[in-house]
Amino acid sequence: MTDQANLERAYRRLLAWYPREFRDENGPEILAVLMAAAREGQRRPGLAESADLIRSGLWMRLRPGVPRSARTVRAAVRLIYAGAAVSTVNLIIALPSLIDIKTYHLEWNNHPFTTAQLNQWGPLIITVDIVLSLVPIALWLWMARANGRGRTWARILSTVLLGVATLDLTGAFQLHSAIGIQVDFVPIEFGPTLPVLTWLVGLAAVWLLWRPASTAFFRPPGSVQALHQFQMAELARIRSSGARQAAERDAIPGGLTGMPVRRGPKWSIWVSLAILMVMIFVVLWALPPN
Amino acid sequence: MQEATFLILTALANGAQHGYGIITDVQQISAGRVRLRAGTLYTALDRLRADELIVVDREEVVDGRLRRYYRLTPAGTRRLAAEAARLQAHAAAALRRLNLAGGMAT
Repeated sequence: MTDQANLERAYRRLLAWYPREFRDENGPEILAVLMAAAREGQRRPGLAESADLIRSGLWMRLRPGVPRSARTVRAAVRLIYAGAAVSTVNLIIALPSLIDIKTYHLEWNNHPFTTAQLNQWGPLIITVDIVLSLVPIALWLWMARANGRGRTWARILSTVLLGVATLDLTGAFQLHSAIGIQVDFVPIEFGPTLPVLTWLVGLAAVWLLWRPASTAFFRPPGSVQALHQFQMAELARIRSSGARQAAERDAIPGGLTGMPVRRGPKWSIWVSLAILMVMIFVVLWALPPN
Repeated sequence: MQEATFLILTALANGAQHGYGIITDVQQISAGRVRLRAGTLYTALDRLRADELIVVDREEVVDGRLRRYYRLTPAGTRRLAAEAARLQAHAAAALRRLNLAGGMAT
């Protein structure tokens, strides 16, 4: 294998740090720039160059990347990240009490564990408690990322999760009453302020996601098509407002025109369904016996 | 506005450029002080596209490699002009004061 082929393969491996959608759209172009900038006889990427690609790839994965013109979606995504932050603060506050499992399970939550069981299974119960406390944070982050990428299913799943959080907040399901472990979509142990605040953040985010201004951003399937269609809607708006012809040209990036539109990953639909199934199972499991 | 962003927009002020062209132009504009790496460049280009300050002008395939040319939008031109005017005003103020200080010192 030639030096150039080795170098190209190494660059391709580094580009795997980028999200797939970004890689599909920009990968060949970035690769062309990297190869053009390579020194004669260079066989592998430099350390600084590799670090730059990894850092940029991770940054691309973490940021929502919502266009500035999609103001309502940008605001919703920021609120969802705020929800994740509040849930994280709650976990940090709750951590000492989670570790004090006797108080947590016997006195606060009235769980059907005996003291002997808590002594025997203590570490396992603490681990499960902490893992389950991480679930809502993971869901917030996942919803922020998926909504930021224009996934239609994410908007629907966010609404379903708000519904579950509402039931949890109002105590309709009493998730903690019949089982030894607990999934709180809103934190309930430390007074009403934090749960109500968390729920309001979720409500505001879902309200923004369903605003008419957001709808153009959520067009299935795949973010590339969603972005393209959003830009087409913007073009229609510009046309109707009689903006200059130059603005019309700018509203359609040439790079997207004629690009093969990728379908959204099917696994995401199955993951959403699996989560819904798990949630239904948890709710049924948690219902107090008659 | 970050310096790299300002330099990228400046590189596009003369017309559409492809990625490698922007890197070499930025190096030239900054007299070799700023060397953009590909990862940093494409993060910035993606953000500038999302903010509608630049758009893709055209695509070409040269030697089997994709070249995508970017150009400023009217909003990008306005933003660059405003930033250049701001920097010029700051530089002028600094030079005025330095001249004044120099005059008093001599």
